[in-house]
Amino acid sequence: MPGSNGKLREISRRTALGALGVGIVGTTVASWPRLTGTDIPGRGDNSLSIAIMGTAADAAARQKVVDAFAKVHPDIKVKVQAIQAVDWKDFFTKILTMVAAGTPPDVVYVATEGAQLFAEKLAHPLDEYLRRDADHMKEYFADVHPSLVEAFMYKGSLFQLPIDWNAANMYYNTKALQQAGLERPADDWNHQDFRSTLAAMRKARPSDFTPYYWTNRLFGGVVPWLYANDTSFLKETKSTGGRWLWDSFYANDPTRGMRSGGYQWLEPNADDPKVFESFDFLRGLVKDGLGVRPEEGGGNSLVGLFASNRIGTTPAGGYWVQGLSEAGMKQDDYDVQFFPKWRTQRHQFGTAGYAIMKTAKDKDAAWEWVKFSSSLDAMQIVFPTPNTTPARRSMVNEQLYAGKGPRHWKVFYDTLDRFPSTGPIPAPPQQAAVETALMKNVSLAVSGDERQLKSALDSLQRDLEFALRRQP
Amino acid sequence: MSTASDTRVRTKAVRGKAQRANGANKAGKPGRSGRERQPWLPWVFLAPTIVGMGIFTVLPIIASVALAFFRWDIISAPSFVGFDNFAEVVQDPTVRVSFLNTILFVVVAVALQLGLALGLAIMVQEKLPAWLRVFFRSAFFFPLILSAASVSIFMRYLFNEQFGVVNWLLSLVGIPAVPWLTTPGGSAAVVILVYVWQNFGFSFLLFIGGLASIPVETYEAASLDGATGWRKHIHVTLPLLSPTTLVASVMAIINALQVFDQPFVLTRGGPGDSTRTAVMVIFESAFQRLEFGQASAIGVILTLIIMAITAAQFRLSKRFVFYQ
Amino acid sequence: MTTTIKRPAAERVVRRSKRDWSVAGRIVLLSIAAVLVLGPVLWTLSTSLRPPAESFQLPPSFLPLDPDFVSYGQVFKQLNIIGLVINSALVTGLIAVGQMITAALAGYAFANLKFRGRGALFSIVLATMMVPAQVTIVPVFMLIRGVGLSDTLMALILPAIPTAFGTFLMRQYFLGLPADLAEAAAIDGASPWRTFRSVYAPLAMPGLSIVGILAFNFHWNEFFRPLIMTISEQNFTLPLGLVSLQGNLGTGSISVVLAGVVLSMIPALVVFMFGQRALRDGLTAGTGK
Repeated sequence: MPGSNGKLREISRRTALGALGVGIVGTTVASWPRLTGTDIPGRGDNSLSIAIMGTAADAAARQKVVDAFAKVHPDIKVKVQAIQAVDWKDFFTKILTMVAAGTPPDVVYVATEGAQLFAEKLAHPLDEYLRRDADHMKEYFADVHPSLVEAFMYKGSLFQLPIDWNAANMYYNTKALQQAGLERPADDWNHQDFRSTLAAMRKARPSDFTPYYWTNRLFGGVVPWLYANDTSFLKETKSTGGRWLWDSFYANDPTRGMRSGGYQWLEPNADDPKVFESFDFLRGLVKDGLGVRPEEGGGNSLVGLFASNRIGTTPAGGYWVQGLSEAGMKQDDYDVQFFPKWRTQRHQFGTAGYAIMKTAKDKDAAWEWVKFSSSLDAMQIVFPTPNTTPARRSMVNEQLYAGKGPRHWKVFYDTLDRFPSTGPIPAPPQQAAVETALMKNVSLAVSGDERQLKSALDSLQRDLEFALRRQP
Repeated sequence: MSTASDTRVRTKAVRGKAQRANGANKAGKPGRSGRERQPWLPWVFLAPTIVGMGIFTVLPIIASVALAFFRWDIISAPSFVGFDNFAEVVQDPTVRVSFLNTILFVVVAVALQLGLALGLAIMVQEKLPAWLRVFFRSAFFFPLILSAASVSIFMRYLFNEQFGVVNWLLSLVGIPAVPWLTTPGGSAAVVILVYVWQNFGFSFLLFIGGLASIPVETYEAASLDGATGWRKHIHVTLPLLSPTTLVASVMAIINALQVFDQPFVLTRGGPGDSTRTAVMVIFESAFQRLEFGQASAIGVILTLIIMAITAAQFRLSKRFVFYQ
Repeated sequence: MTTTIKRPAAERVVRRSKRDWSVAGRIVLLSIAAVLVLGPVLWTLSTSLRPPAESFQLPPSFLPLDPDFVSYGQVFKQLNIIGLVINSALVTGLIAVGQMITAALAGYAFANLKFRGRGALFSIVLATMMVPAQVTIVPVFMLIRGVGLSDTLMALILPAIPTAFGTFLMRQYFLGLPADLAEAAAIDGASPWRTFRSVYAPLAMPGLSIVGILAFNFHWNEFFRPLIMTISEQNFTLPLGLVSLQGNLGTGSISVVLAGVVLSMIPALVVFMFGQRALRDGLTAGTGK
């Protein structure tokens, strides 16, 4: 309705536009430091930058360690940079992006998934420092299982000190087990016992319930079943060397003889009949309604489903305890047992620790951080809650799990002692391509008939060959 | 693309002063005086866009094409490999499958999106209480304001095979649980459904506008000739709406060809390669495997395909689009 | 308000030729569609308002009766929501304003000014719409590094300001304005710049608001570019922050994730409510024919 007040509107419109313009310019000027990132503390100075995977909350949690570190090394300035990522693959992408952006961090918290990628391309070995500070480091190695350390050996050198780790154990819902009329399974239950446990659970709760829930990813997916059956989708060999480490720090360890200069995954192994056997077992679980077809992508729903008593069993490690507790699960609602036995009872684990970047400006300072982070004091600050399993045996104790369960938390660290051949997630330097190849074929392999399984494994073998041929 | 620049628009939204002179417009005429006196003037107007696009779009495209002939992982120096990247990419079964997936996705998703949008737009524009019309319009547009990533996050829960609401609803009518996200057919269906759910609102809006600009007299004439109901729409609405349909379909196809967020969050491209799209393969090879040369090669091929399809659309449009 | 909207043409005809039952039929069909569209959103809202243990309750409840705000508290505890919102608002706002200005200028030039190579240049601008962001992101990234803006909000804003779609929309919009306006202005002795500023730009406000709203909507929800271009979490925008709620290896709880999703919807919803009509009117004008 344009009319007599048109003029008035014209003026007020101009005023509004003017105000808007001033507002925009004002906002831009006022927020210039924010827009150009210059308000981020520690930016552009030469403090030691530590990249960890996590959120602001995680970085804040590390701040206490930084403060403690500052007391010991007042001369070294440290800033912790939390980098958010969906999974480790995503995190490594970010680190590589930082390298590409010309702002690489000095120290990075790297998990097994990326250990060999970093060792091959980005990280600096710790050997010289370990030799130099051998006396000081004895206490650390005495508290940490050699299986974890071996996961960070690459071609005879050690690149990281394990800080936390998780094995794929089997969680179960206590109530579902009771309803099925069963007792806690024996330590050495085998895959057939596992299957009959699931069948009994299914019988007791025919609907709105899944006896075995698993997701399709490297950790806790199909690999634990391959390890238990004494095989893997990659041929596992070990490189020589590394005696220096085992001789100086694990001289009295009974498993010293089997330790090496690091794992090597050079050839695909998907055509192994035992691989077929393991996949066929899983396929049987899916076919008979005992297990789900594994989903691609993140396993977001898992904690919620388990906490709401919809799931009988699922593979996970000590990192689950805190999440379940937050989701409202009580100590007696669930428990954990070793992964079922097949030809062996070898478990799969993943671990993580700090790696010093080749590009680090001050490697000595970086080593001081790595060393300090492996100390008991530092680790107690970092792991106040059971949202992962500390690498130090002495820290996996009653106190950590008090009030949160599970009753048999000892299973977590016992896994390493009882099954010393327990090995890391198979992750060669070409991990991203290998992981993609595995995931994309697993779902097809376990959710069709035998012919589909056969062709999925053929395709897996082919994809892996292709992946491993790539320049790492 | 050149035909797009000839497109003339008569708008309904301009009111007031503009109404007087409606329809007298011919491109070029108004600027005559400006051109003679200040030949540099248009470039002042264009500078921000042209310079910006030159730096942030055209230059990167050229760089990307160049990169397709190198092997480069960001860390070490790039090395020239000629057409090796293209040769490898063409032979890679994953790349081939993902391109086929993308084309299949575009055909199904765009057909659904446009069909749904058109049908609903016609229904909304016919006789309805005003408040209901406003409600329906807002409802259908609503998903557009959500981020594709959030939508995919909650849709994942809804389509969960065991505990999802969708299967629960199906079970009420006696349909057994559908393995949505864990079988090739199921996940392809979910990706398409979720994509269409979120995007049909945009085409819907375009159609609403197109319908509103069809003159009443046309319908009156048609009903005098005895055309009613659906025949009226087929013989009157569709031809008169064809310019809108062209714009809507060009945009829908360009967007669908670049689909990424939904399959990335919903299925990560699986199971197998069943929901892997072309753009996902680019992302994976660049940012997960650090094969930037190969990623660029795939990107170049995809861009050429998109351009060919768009050009074909405009060519076809010359025959089928009816301008008043 | 509604009196100024031009009544849909088709309606008047139909009123005569159709009986009421067909209206009822249409309402039923439209309602089914509306339920399918809004149902998932309502489920998300109501699930975010329930304690984590009840996330997978079946039958589901679509209405948030007896709300529980634990998950929302959790979101605020886990994320620096305020910081994320400020970043998102800065990035989105400046991109939207930048796009409005550049698109208005370029759109006007393409519509109303004559110069050599106009058609070809416009085709090139349109053609850039067809290139997926994934194709150009690496060179853009290196460029940003070159000018020292790596991992800043500016790295997100600057490359997003030139807009092909916005330019296209504004050109269509200006073409829709009557030509004799310019002629009249020229006779009055107004310079082309003045003609643009005083005559055309004010008339194009509806079109400009569409460019602004669409830019806001797209960049508020944008995920891919921030994922690549920002590293420090101080520089994150909302969608990136939300992802972290999912937790490492999926240890996050659904209701917390959904609470985050709901929170991130709110600003977009506000813009949507205020801008919906302008968007509808303007968009339909820009691409109608």
